Amino acid sequence: MGQQYLKVNSIEELLVNLDKPGAMVLCGGTDLVVKMRSGLLSPELLLDISDLPELREIRNIGSKIEIGAAVTQSELLASEIVRERLPLLITVLSQLGCVQIRNRGTLGGNLVNASPAADSAVPLLLFDAEVILTGSQGERRLAVKDFFRGPGKTALSNGEFLRAVLIPLPNPKLSPFFHKIGRRKALTIAIASLGALLHVEGDLIHEVRLAAGSVAPTPIRLRRVEERANGKRVTASLIEEARKLARQSVSPIDDIRASADYRRTVIADLVAHLFEGVLHV
Amino acid sequence: MRIQFIVNGRQVERETNAETRLLDLLREDLHLTGTKEGCGEGECGACTVLLDGRAVNSCLVLAPQVDGKEVLTIEGLAPLSKSHSRHSTGRAKGDELHPIQQAFVEKGAVQCGFCTPGFIMSTYALLEENPSPNDEEILSALEGNLCRCTGYTKIIEAVRYAAKLMREER
Repeated sequence: MGQQYLKVNSIEELLVNLDKPGAMVLCGGTDLVVKMRSGLLSPELLLDISDLPELREIRNIGSKIEIGAAVTQSELLASEIVRERLPLLITVLSQLGCVQIRNRGTLGGNLVNASPAADSAVPLLLFDAEVILTGSQGERRLAVKDFFRGPGKTALSNGEFLRAVLIPLPNPKLSPFFHKIGRRKALTIAIASLGALLHVEGDLIHEVRLAAGSVAPTPIRLRRVEERANGKRVTASLIEEARKLARQSVSPIDDIRASADYRRTVIADLVAHLFEGVLHV
Repeated sequence: MRIQFIVNGRQVERETNAETRLLDLLREDLHLTGTKEGCGEGECGACTVLLDGRAVNSCLVLAPQVDGKEVLTIEGLAPLSKSHSRHSTGRAKGDELHPIQQAFVEKGAVQCGFCTPGFIMSTYALLEENPSPNDEEILSALEGNLCRCTGYTKIIEAVRYAAKLMREER
């Protein structure tokens, strides 16, 4: 009766069972359990990876950090190397959900869930991170930007699971920026969010990377704004152009949280706010 | 399936399934009804318990997931008080209070009381990790718990006071 549950003890055991009909990976459960109870998902076989040692490691491999799919958000917040080298991820995760959610929720789960509002997707897009997908045929790597295919849709094939996230360590000169607009501070699903990595000297933008959440079917990079601003000095006209390009770069929807037009305005204002900040240092 | 776990220091073994949440297991099977169900989707924190020492929403944990783990609920808190034997003299068994509970009572941080067990468990998790939190740290530790009565001010006061009581106990 109902769904079966299996705590898998190895990746081999996971792969063998993942091929079975109705099988689904369970980790922290912060999204999946809610969806199961509301009837949105009805998996027949739950494969619990939350205690799989191979997926619970944060490893520093040369110039990259590999984060196992079952590492919780709280564990990332406490990790020394993440705190030192990925301050943007710390900023974002410390605003995600609440303590109880972060103690269970994982980076891998937030990605696989593929919400257009997934907070952790924003920094991963900015880092040009990759996901490592494992199936019985072997492993493949995919840029995070290509992993999202639409709301709730990912590039995962049948029988495949997300094993880890691979993050190239960004230039330490890139300063983090993250601003999330929502109804309240904690436990809010973003109406719109903007993340950035920014290297400026005076008013000269050496490099800027911009990513936005909740303003398109998937979290996205704002490439046109980046191209316009890179190597330029911040001026009033640059800010106005960036604002316009940001509006044109997004394709939000009306939903219960906000209207599409409001979201376009908010994302444009956040981009302008970021560049105005450069002038006011 | 059969699971074994520790709840409030006691080893228990139960038959359960993947349709049962930790919340249901605690309330329906073990009759630990201090843990409350509010929203049932991880928004309100009324069902907060500690799982291996960390605050979690028991409505989002499936019962089979706690196999081999340790759970602490509001019922298990009073015996953990360092001055338990002192406090308990003159009180009937089951009426002893942990300093956090004492602080919530004394500071009037309880009105209807439905959210209280969740708030107290979140406070316990905070104070175990950080015995002298500042107000910002208190607010951040409690952001996953909602209270519709108190307006939170009395709760923050109670947490500050509980921290003081617990530091004095050490």
